[in-house]
Amino acid sequence: MPVPAPRTRPHPVAVTAVLLLVAIIAAALWRSEESGTGARDVGGEAVPVTAAAPVPVTGATCAPTITNPGGRNNYRANAPLDVPLGRGLVITGVVRDTACRPLPGVAVQVWLQTALGSERENRTTVLTGPDGRYRVSSDPAVAQFGEPNVHVAHDVDDGWRAVFLRNVVDSEDTLATVDLTLVPSS
Amino acid sequence: MSVVRVVGVVAVLGAAVLVGLALAGRHLAGAPVLLVVSTVAACLAVAALAVQPWLTRRRVGVHVRVGGIITVLVVLHVVALLVEDPDDALYSMSPDGPTRARMALIATLLLGVVTLLGVLRRRLRWSPATWRFVHGSLAALVVVLGVGHALLIQGALDGWGTPVLLTLGGLGAVGAVVRLVRVLRAPPPPGDATPPDGGRVRSGDGLRG
Repeated sequence: MPVPAPRTRPHPVAVTAVLLLVAIIAAALWRSEESGTGARDVGGEAVPVTAAAPVPVTGATCAPTITNPGGRNNYRANAPLDVPLGRGLVITGVVRDTACRPLPGVAVQVWLQTALGSERENRTTVLTGPDGRYRVSSDPAVAQFGEPNVHVAHDVDDGWRAVFLRNVVDSEDTLATVDLTLVPSS
Repeated sequence: MSVVRVVGVVAVLGAAVLVGLALAGRHLAGAPVLLVVSTVAACLAVAALAVQPWLTRRRVGVHVRVGGIITVLVVLHVVALLVEDPDDALYSMSPDGPTRARMALIATLLLGVVTLLGVLRRRLRWSPATWRFVHGSLAALVVVLGVGHALLIQGALDGWGTPVLLTLGGLGAVGAVVRLVRVLRAPPPPGDATPPDGGRVRSGDGLRG
């Protein structure tokens, strides 16, 4: 008399391991940041009149800007001064010290991918004005590795510590605001 | 026409649409060759993932070959990105990378495990149910995470690429789940019986999907 073939089931250890793996993957994705660790969405729509930098309050302190992961991606030193990068997106911000005082004449490098070129080619350095504000006009940002992003850095050894940022924007954004708070390098 | 053939036709059409959209779009206009190669490889891999689970029943030989092709395409996709833009590629693969990159990284690692499981099936001496459960579950995760990664990427496959990716990803995920459920519910075929040993070890394990 033939014996019916027994049903088999996956080994309980295998089932447990797979379920555990699924839980670990879910946790890893849940804990990840959508645009990368420390990357902020700095995009928006440009306003017709550029707002003046706020007057610092006596005794106020500003938290120093910290280089975020990916901030140095495709960085090249000595970017040429005031290179026209196109029109459609304004990248601007105020550079301050930790007492929230604006820093004039400080070099800021900006690089991003646009229709003109990739992050490696498309860069310029600008100097902050008397109110500590810098401004770069560029073609709209184009997705680089899955998302449009803008790099802003203070990279010149002028008494202020270097800082490198990678933040994200939407391709339709016309304004990206990235403020920097620098600390003395010594 | 069998379900497998229908899925195969949809996958081929999907691959053609994805590649066409990518090559005709603004995003890759004037892009470096390596970026184009990487994107095309990814499009073909997504289409192959859609059909892969449906080949496990009666077309195991094709399933094995398509699996090898998917692995090669994914390696090509990653290596091309690494060579073209090492800074962004390494950042994306780091723990600080964005969610979409983390999905891709996990999917790639799991694809490696799934491929190894296929290659080492006989040596592992697992029961068919255990092997199929692990191989199928991890393959389903590869499909979900890989296609999810493609959906979250902004660029060449925006717009009409999204419904095509959803269709291909849906086909792959449904195929993997259907096959997994069917394998787990069905009794083993004659000669493929495993003693009720908790699914640990069996002998004479063939290359069935």
